[in-house]
Amino acid sequence: MLSIRQLSIRSGAKKLVDNVSLSIREGDWYALVGQSGSGKTLLSQAIGRMLPPNLQAEGSIFYKERDVLALSSEQMRTIRGSKLSYVFQDYQGSFTPFRTIGQHFEEYQKAHGCFDSRARQRNALDALDSVGLDESVYKRYPFQLSGGQLQRVSIAVALLLSPDLLIADEITTALDSVSGHRIMEFLAKRQKETGFAILFITHDWRPVKRYANRIAVMKEGQVVEAGEKEHVLDHPQHAYTKQLINAAPTLDRVLAASREEAEIV
Amino acid sequence: MKLLTVKNLTKSYQGQKTAVHPLSFDLHQGECLGLVGESGCGKSTLARCLLRIETIDGGSIYFKNEAIERLNERQLHAYRQKMQIVLQNPSAALNPKLKIKDSLIDPYEQYRKELSLRYFSYTSKKAFIKQLLDAVQLPESLADRYPHELSGGQRQRVTIARAISIEPELLVLDEPTASLDVISQGAVLALLAELRLSLNLSYLFISHDLAAVAQMSGRILVMKEGRLVDQFHRDQLMSDERHPYTKELISIFSS
Repeated sequence: MLSIRQLSIRSGAKKLVDNVSLSIREGDWYALVGQSGSGKTLLSQAIGRMLPPNLQAEGSIFYKERDVLALSSEQMRTIRGSKLSYVFQDYQGSFTPFRTIGQHFEEYQKAHGCFDSRARQRNALDALDSVGLDESVYKRYPFQLSGGQLQRVSIAVALLLSPDLLIADEITTALDSVSGHRIMEFLAKRQKETGFAILFITHDWRPVKRYANRIAVMKEGQVVEAGEKEHVLDHPQHAYTKQLINAAPTLDRVLAASREEAEIV
Repeated sequence: MKLLTVKNLTKSYQGQKTAVHPLSFDLHQGECLGLVGESGCGKSTLARCLLRIETIDGGSIYFKNEAIERLNERQLHAYRQKMQIVLQNPSAALNPKLKIKDSLIDPYEQYRKELSLRYFSYTSKKAFIKQLLDAVQLPESLADRYPHELSGGQRQRVTIARAISIEPELLVLDEPTASLDVISQGAVLALLAELRLSLNLSYLFISHDLAAVAQMSGRILVMKEGRLVDQFHRDQLMSDERHPYTKELISIFSS
């Protein structure tokens, strides 16, 4: 469905993303894992042609046989939102503070050519319901919602036009674990229902283990390892992948170590 | 020996629901006590009360059997040498206009008259800064840089170095790794574990990350909506007696 071929992103002479190739199939939950500064966000921005203007992308990004990088801005607008959409870490930045949640839905749908106001409202309420939010949210302002609720609204908006690909960039990083978990469960449920693909950018292994089916590991602008989830997690080949996997504390490891200690004592 | 005793502590803010309900626990000398909770559960309010940045509404906080709410200005100054805090966001904790060495020396200069150091030694500012940077495994060359020139993980190491520079007895660590990426997280946790032993510190380790808390702490407290809902030793984490909320956290953090 989406095929990135030898993509490089430069800032002047400096290569920030270096010759990356990867492809996402329909229905994939594709995890792109790496530390901050590894280039994973730039890579995802290049897909929607959302790179800052001082950065240049080379190579190609094929979305259903069309090279996204060669499209006109106008053609790009018909794809962004309806075929591929984004959810970001900074949910606060995704909302205009003086507009209600309902007005955000209105604006988004009008911009994409939905001119039937009753249909727009119905779509919005259905979308809110699909992420576990009730009608009262429609009239609220962003500051009246919690971080977890706002991020759920972002997902509802991003999925409104049934895109084929959702790009989710560190969407749970700014949330605590319980709300983060709830978001992931809603996202997984929606994906099961409608079958869109997800490019899931993260530095956290927990959601990767739980939801992804494929993984690419990025370091300093390059993909150092990629493959099926079980393969990468159980048999990491690259030293950096092993380091990443072992860096974060996990309950299983903590408990195993604590049992071992008890046996020695 | 009890280092810190919190007894029936309550705190609420005007017009808001109670931040901390009657809350009681002990922290023993030399231990790393873990405190798990989600945002809004009152754990940071508790941390601020411990430092007496906030005045408490009811109950008492005893540090070595002295009620901190009754300390006068001079005693409070002495208390804050013994109790230091490391916060989630190292960028906010460091003055952007100061070089790292000048941020690092600040607590020492405030306490130099009354302080007798056991682990570090002060011969010159330069040598002292080097010891501090060594202790948190940073190169001496960072001394002349500004905070914005450092990575998030390096900045957090600097705030840790600052906190230990006056050799406190208790460090309150409020989400010290939450803003770091996974590799820096693991490295900062390892550093903190090592410093606790080498500087004979006690920790109150506050985090929403149950896995990190379980790695760092023996005893673990669980807070929800201003209340202590569960407390247990790490070995009893998987016990059936755990509070439903603890079980929910365990299911989220198991993979």
